[in-house]
This record gives sequence, structure tokens and C-alpha cells, in this order.
Amino acid sequence: MIKQHIEVINKLGLHARAAARLVKEASSFDSEIMLCREGQEVNAKSIMGIMMLAASQGTRLQLKVNGVDEKTAVDSIVRLFLSRFGEDE
Amino acid sequence: MLTLYGAGIGKGIAIGRAFVMQRSAIEIPQYSIQASEIGSEVDRFRKAIEDTRIQLREIESQIPADAPPESKSFIEVYLLMLKDPLIEQQPAETIREELCNAEWALRKHSKALVDTFDRMQDPYLREKKNDVRQITSRIQDNLLHIPKQSIAAHPGQLEGRVVISHDLSPADTVQFKNQKIMGFVTDLGGPTSHTAILARSLKIPAVVGLHRATRYIRHDEVVIVDGKRGAIVMGADEGVLDRYRDRQAYVIRRKRELDELRDAEPVTRDGQTVKLLANVELPDDVRAAHRSRAQGVGLFRTEYLFMNRTEPPSEQEQFSAYSQVVRRMKSSVTIRTLDLGADKQVDGGRSEDPTNPALGLRAVRLCLHEPGLFKPQLRAVLRASALGPVQVVVPMLSSLNELDQVFDMIAETKEELRQRGEDFDEEIPIGGMVEVPAAAVSADLFARRLDFLSIGTNDLIQYTLAIDRVDDTVNYLYDPLHPSVLRLIKLTIDAGENAGIPVTMCGEMAGDARYTKLLLGMGLKIFSMDPTSIPEVKRKVLEADMQRLPDEAEKIMACGDSNAIRDMVVAMEKL
Repeated sequence: MIKQHIEVINKLGLHARAAARLVKEASSFDSEIMLCREGQEVNAKSIMGIMMLAASQGTRLQLKVNGVDEKTAVDSIVRLFLSRFGEDE
Repeated sequence: MLTLYGAGIGKGIAIGRAFVMQRSAIEIPQYSIQASEIGSEVDRFRKAIEDTRIQLREIESQIPADAPPESKSFIEVYLLMLKDPLIEQQPAETIREELCNAEWALRKHSKALVDTFDRMQDPYLREKKNDVRQITSRIQDNLLHIPKQSIAAHPGQLEGRVVISHDLSPADTVQFKNQKIMGFVTDLGGPTSHTAILARSLKIPAVVGLHRATRYIRHDEVVIVDGKRGAIVMGADEGVLDRYRDRQAYVIRRKRELDELRDAEPVTRDGQTVKLLANVELPDDVRAAHRSRAQGVGLFRTEYLFMNRTEPPSEQEQFSAYSQVVRRMKSSVTIRTLDLGADKQVDGGRSEDPTNPALGLRAVRLCLHEPGLFKPQLRAVLRASALGPVQVVVPMLSSLNELDQVFDMIAETKEELRQRGEDFDEEIPIGGMVEVPAAAVSADLFARRLDFLSIGTNDLIQYTLAIDRVDDTVNYLYDPLHPSVLRLIKLTIDAGENAGIPVTMCGEMAGDARYTKLLLGMGLKIFSMDPTSIPEVKRKVLEADMQRLPDEAEKIMACGDSNAIRDMVVAMEKL
């Protein structure tokens, strides 16, 4: 299991479109991928779970990944957050 | 006549016969199943999900090619929701654990999800409950084999109609274009719901959140949908209908005119290209610049960052503002260094009540006087130049000495950044504002040393005619067409032409369509203005005939009488 802190840096936060990209990315891995925020833990493969996190810009989250491809999964999800989900800002 | 109000979408007006879509509330059945039936009940649930997926894919394939990209992403979100463990797996577990039917298991989870979203603080997230409702009701309909009361179920019957519905899903809305629906009204929904956003981008007038629309509006009666006021009018007499038809025609005509202009290249009748740029003040103004198809930012005023505060903004704060504009604009951005002093003072006021603030320590003078104010700004501008095409323009230059000092300071700043290992454009173009008559008279000297010139007409007029624009006892003397002003403008344009560097005009005169042809005739090729002025100025550019305008401009330049000049400029407008 790998744990890592990540921060939401895109302006709009994890709204519908960013959430959709995250779910698609997470679903491409076999590992179990969870996102935690202040005790609330959701499945990163669940679009509604992610929307329920209500993570706006500046929110810090903990990523927990467990499974055979956990290393690549963490890398690509961190990269997605850093790329602001392909949004302008 | 009865008028109901809700949240209006779009600026348009739709008039048409109502098509009321009835959707009676369905009773969700609840019953127990035997342990031996679990397998088939879960299969039934899975099949309903699969059917829903197939239906959504079919809707996706029917989205017209010219529909806004949002349409596709809504369907995509719905498809992801179908795959969500909370919808795809949890009801199946409930069937197993509680031995209940699939409909009831789904209802239990959808209700919990709707409640969770309903409790959200953020209004945007709160609206997500509608998405949950719509997707789960699609699955319910498939479980119960209820034929969908959807837009697609009425092929050909909806053309020219106003659709009245309890609720519409984005999946319904995307088909509006195909069906040629005039407008729609819903009981539910808010101005930020998916359906509303989609209607806005499809440019269909609508009123949402009208609560009892389906009850008050009768099938087939003529209704008026006024998207701008958020009103729906029933039982209007001929007089009212005529008034709305006139407004509808006006809105359509005006929109078409501006749309045609918006996408037209700014080229004169005889093929000379002109550049129309935007003046911006806040990073958010970039949106308006894009909307008016500005070909870049000709003037980014930075004063707003410095106003209403006691300490100047840090380099980092400035960098973040500048880089936002540069990244969002994508075409060239000209950043003007601080133009404070005189009328706009940093809170607390630096100069002690000068008698003549307009002639005092301001703009580049203030900046050279206080390197601690100027250098962080230069560093921030330079760093932003690593992210896209950036130019710097220095306001209120009056002598070449000042220019030397500015160059020195920029060179020092570049060195500091190199030592910090920061990226920037080594060749960043540096231009000067021509707004003090001294600079206009010596424009040829400035043009030799600068990469471009930018004429700031507001100050140029005020300094040339020695009138204070804010003093209402003399401001009647403020005259952009004063022969002396025109001569200084002409000197500047010619100096740029001779030195082979671009000349921009960014004062109010550049955005005043009455002067466009005169300025074109005088040789100006780059205009920068408030984005809202671009369509009107572009209209003049498209009409302009460069075979004739220079001669007319010359006649005007030779004339000394302001009244005669004004008449000639009016006549020139018709050329």
C-alpha cells in the first residue's frame, strides 16, 4: 500500500469534468484506489464519491493505493492532479 | 393574460404552441424475494443498467456534430455514474442482504445519494442531486418497462413548439437542435443545472424552476418564453404578441449582425489588414477579449493590483496575475508598467497633496524614483514572458534620459532573474506610451530606440490642450479632433512607419467608431480598445476604402477650423 498527500491545484476543484477524468484514470488500474479528506474516505473509481468530497482548489487529500500496479497508479494520478486535469488554470 | 416568473436562460424570446410532456409520478413497488431468486433479481438489475447504457450511447450518437462540446461530456458523466460502485454494485448487495426487489434496492440508494448531495454547502454540488435523480429514474423506467417519456419519443411532433416538462435531462436537451424546438419551460432546475447550461450553449430560450408550469400551461396554447426576464406569458392578446415578435426579430437581427462581424477578419475593402486588440484590466477580462475575437491584448493595465491597499503587491502576486492573462490569452499581451500617481494613488498617497498631480511624480517617474516598487513588477512581467508572447510598454515617457534609466533597470532585472535561474524572453519587446506632447514631437528619436510605440490619446489630449479632464469648468475644451492633437498623432504614426516599428493606439479614441476611418487614413493599423467596442470598429474597417481615406485625412490635417474638421470627419464616416 502506498500513501501520498496531494493537493487540488486547479481553479475549479474536483467538479464534474475533473472528477470524470480522475475516475477514468483510476479505473484503468487494478489496484484499489481511495482518496481521503478529514476522515471521509471515497473510492477514486466512483464519480459520485469524488464529487461528494467537495474538494475545491487548495484542498489537501490523501491518496491510498493498494494492489499489483500501485506504483504506476500513484504516479499517473499525481501527474493528473499536477496537470490541473488538463484545464487552463 | 398570465405571467409566471422563474430563472431565465439566454437572451432570446420564443413564441410557440406548448407541448406539455406528462410524467405521472410512478409508485416504486416493494416486495420480498426468496433466497433462490437473488441471482435472477440481480441479473434483472444488471440488465436494466445495461439497457440504460445502450440508450445513453444511442443518444450520444444522435448529438449533432455542431452541438457544443458540453453535450458530450454530460453524457460521459452519466455513463460514468452508471459504472459507479454506488449505483452499479451497492443496490445488488442490498438485494442479496435484504432480500428485496431491485426497484426498492435502487430507490434506497438513490434516495441516500440525493439526500447527501442535498446537504452539500456548495450550490453547484447540491444540483448534482438532479443528475442522480435523472440517471436512477432512467434505470427505474427500464426495470419497470416504462416507455421513456422523452424528447426522442415524439419524433417530428415538436418542431416549432415550446416544450413544457416537469424536468428535462441533459440527454433530452441535446436533442433539441435535431427536433427544432423553439424553447422550453421546466418545473424543476436552477440556472446552473446541466440542462440550463446546455440550453444556454445551444442558444435556446428557456425558463427553469417555474414550479407549477406543467399545471398552469395547457397543451397547445400559445406561450411566450422570455429568456432574458425569466418570464413565461400565457393568453397574450395580439398586441402583446406583436410587441414580443418585434423584440424577437430585433434580438435575432442584432445577434446575426454582431455574429457576422465577430468572425470576420478586420480587413479593409481593398485588402489591407488591420489589428484590433483588447484593453484589459483584470484577468477575467480575457473572457470578453476572446468573445469579441480580439487578436491580442494591446494594453493590460496593472494599476488595479496596486489600488486599495497599503503595501504594493509582491512579485509572486503580480506574476500570478500576469501569467493568468498570458496563459489564457494565447496571443500577444502588452503589459503596461505601473501608471499610478495623479488621479489613481496607492492607498495612503505617496506624494503629499501635489498642486498639479497630472504634472507630478507619476507613472514612469514614480517607478524610477522608487526601484523597490518598479523592480518586482519588471521581474514579474519578465517571468510571465516565459509563458507566451509578452511585450512591455512604459507610460508617460518624456525624455530619452528616462528611457536610458528604464533600459538599465530592465537589464539589471534580467541579470537578477538569470542568477535565480528563472526563464524569461531575452528579446522581450519594449515599447513606450506616447502621451506627453514632448514624446510625440520627438517620436522619431524614441522610435529609433524602442520596439514599438503606443499612443495614449486620453493623456495626450489633456497635456496638449492643457485641460484637466476632471475639471468640469474646462472639460468642454477636450477635443480629440483638435488640429494640434491630430498633428501629434500623425507625427507618431509616421515616426513608427519610418523606423519600421508598429504603432498602436490604445486610448478612448481608438475604440470610438466615429474616428476609425480618419485614423486609418492617417496610417494607423493597430487599434486597442475595450472589447465591447471591437464589433463597431470592425464594421468601419470592413467598409473602409484605403484608396480614398489618406487623401481625405490629409485634407482634414490641413484644416485649422475645429468645426469644419468635425463636419469633414462626419462626411468621411460615410465613405
